[in-house]
Amino acid sequence: MIKDKVKTGVPGLDDMLEGGLIPGRAYVVSGTSGTGKTSLAMQFLLEGARSGERVVYVSIDEPPNEVKQNMGTFGWDIGRIQVFDATPDVMNYDKTPVRDVSTERKVVYFSDIGPEIRQTSDRNPVDMTISTLQEILKQEMRARKYSRIVVDSLTSLRYFYIKTSEENTTLMSFFRLLSDLGVTALLTVQLPEISKPDVEVHVARGDIRLHKWFDGRGLMRGITVEKYRGSSHDNRLRTMKISSVGIDVKTQSPEKREEVSEEEEQPVEGSTDLPDPPPPSDEAPAPPAEPMPVQPNDQSPPAELPPKPVEQHKEGGGI
Amino acid sequence: MKPSTDERVSTGIPGIDDMLKGGLISGRPYVVSGTTGSGKTILAVQFLHQGVKQGERALLVAIDEPPQEIRENVRALGWDVGKIRILDVHPAAKAYSKRVSVVEVAAQRSVGSLRDAGPSAKTEAMKAASPDVSVQSLQLMLKQELHEIKYSRVVIDSLTSLKKLSESMGDTNSSIMSLLRYLSESGVTSLIITDLPDPTELEPEMFICRGEIRLHKRMVANRIDRCVTIEKLRGSPHDPMPRPMNISDTGISVDSKKKIPKASLRMLQAFTQYGR
Repeated sequence: MIKDKVKTGVPGLDDMLEGGLIPGRAYVVSGTSGTGKTSLAMQFLLEGARSGERVVYVSIDEPPNEVKQNMGTFGWDIGRIQVFDATPDVMNYDKTPVRDVSTERKVVYFSDIGPEIRQTSDRNPVDMTISTLQEILKQEMRARKYSRIVVDSLTSLRYFYIKTSEENTTLMSFFRLLSDLGVTALLTVQLPEISKPDVEVHVARGDIRLHKWFDGRGLMRGITVEKYRGSSHDNRLRTMKISSVGIDVKTQSPEKREEVSEEEEQPVEGSTDLPDPPPPSDEAPAPPAEPMPVQPNDQSPPAELPPKPVEQHKEGGGI
Repeated sequence: MKPSTDERVSTGIPGIDDMLKGGLISGRPYVVSGTTGSGKTILAVQFLHQGVKQGERALLVAIDEPPQEIRENVRALGWDVGKIRILDVHPAAKAYSKRVSVVEVAAQRSVGSLRDAGPSAKTEAMKAASPDVSVQSLQLMLKQELHEIKYSRVVIDSLTSLKKLSESMGDTNSSIMSLLRYLSESGVTSLIITDLPDPTELEPEMFICRGEIRLHKRMVANRIDRCVTIEKLRGSPHDPMPRPMNISDTGISVDSKKKIPKASLRMLQAFTQYGR
């Protein structure tokens, strides 16, 4: 068994992961938009920073000034988290040679990030590619020993920095680099509303998936561990809350629904309105794609969640 | 100095501002999505109208419809939209003659106010040259326009059409990222209008944008039933529930206190769970 797991800092999630993540491996946090991927990833870095580790956030989706403002709503002290601004510049569509990004941008602390967006240089935008990003990460890691890294998002990295023809090999090599560096990595992945398994989830050592859906009472949030190599883990969908202090996962839900089969669950009130479900994908489909039982309006406990098709991933101890 | 998300931009629709807990966060790009006829353009014009009422500069980038048609459509709502400026990038009938380069296009496109939207000699002459409209050329046009006038609100109507026009232009994903980045760097709060996203596909604007307002339209018991949801809003709490929406002759109104009927909610659940 692996003893010293890395705590994610999300109450409840560490229980689901039987203590945390295995150090030195790369994991994916996936979910549709607005499910809390960035918040979860930031909470993971904050946990490291609090115990004096060096941690770095690689920002690709959003400019760091906005990330800082957004995280300000949680009242977290993210000043000691380091950040690398990997957002692409405004393109100028000229044929003029562009300068290499490594001479222009450095890893800084969040406390150094101002309120304004970084302006693309008047001269020429800098060129950012996957290989320059890898080079910068290598240099940084050699100079300073980081224990945690977040790449937000891997989806943007694919869309904006990786050529489609080389997508799979480039992604494999990026994961390889992270494991060579010995850093525990969380990479966020944006899913479409109906998703099929994609390459990053296959390559990652684990996949923490965030869900949201409507039921009779309003917006519900859930979390599952879809995959976790080398460790046993909680197979069930747990409810999750995003409050003013961060993400909180409820792991104490009664076991009584465990026995109810899916067939008994199906003929719920109003189900005749529902069109046919999509064909099942190879892996366990995300719960929002399943028929949700229509909830009565009383305050029923969160144990009313539909049982998730259990993906047996009990690989037990390490290799 | 504490950076904050307190500086909010009113959408011009009080109910939607309530759902957004005050409005949109200034200087960020947002998506407005919905099926045809769900009210996207009206919402966008209302957003621009709110800006000019407050003395701001507002720009409508018209791609789907020619400006004079937009003008006629919104005039029915009785708004004084004359101060909204409009960038006409509605593609003309192709002449298949001499092509002009992207940069020349940027120099040629004319901006007029919505009041005097109509065929002008200049636009006609320019359209005869039949330049390509694309995400790239739009960014260059906007750069020129924003260089002269400091806009605080911009609407792109619609990105879906613009992407279709840009299909031959290569790396559209990076160009969209660049366009939205450009708007952010210019300090503009922007609304990007798109069709309802295909639930099995991930469009880059959907994960780059800092929020999404989605308009829904369905037939419930022989009448059109409208509602609005906030699908995403970075850096702010927001109303997670769908709220009923109405389009009347004074524009869009949303009741942020009212729940939508049970039957509609159930259809919406099915809708979001199974795709369209």
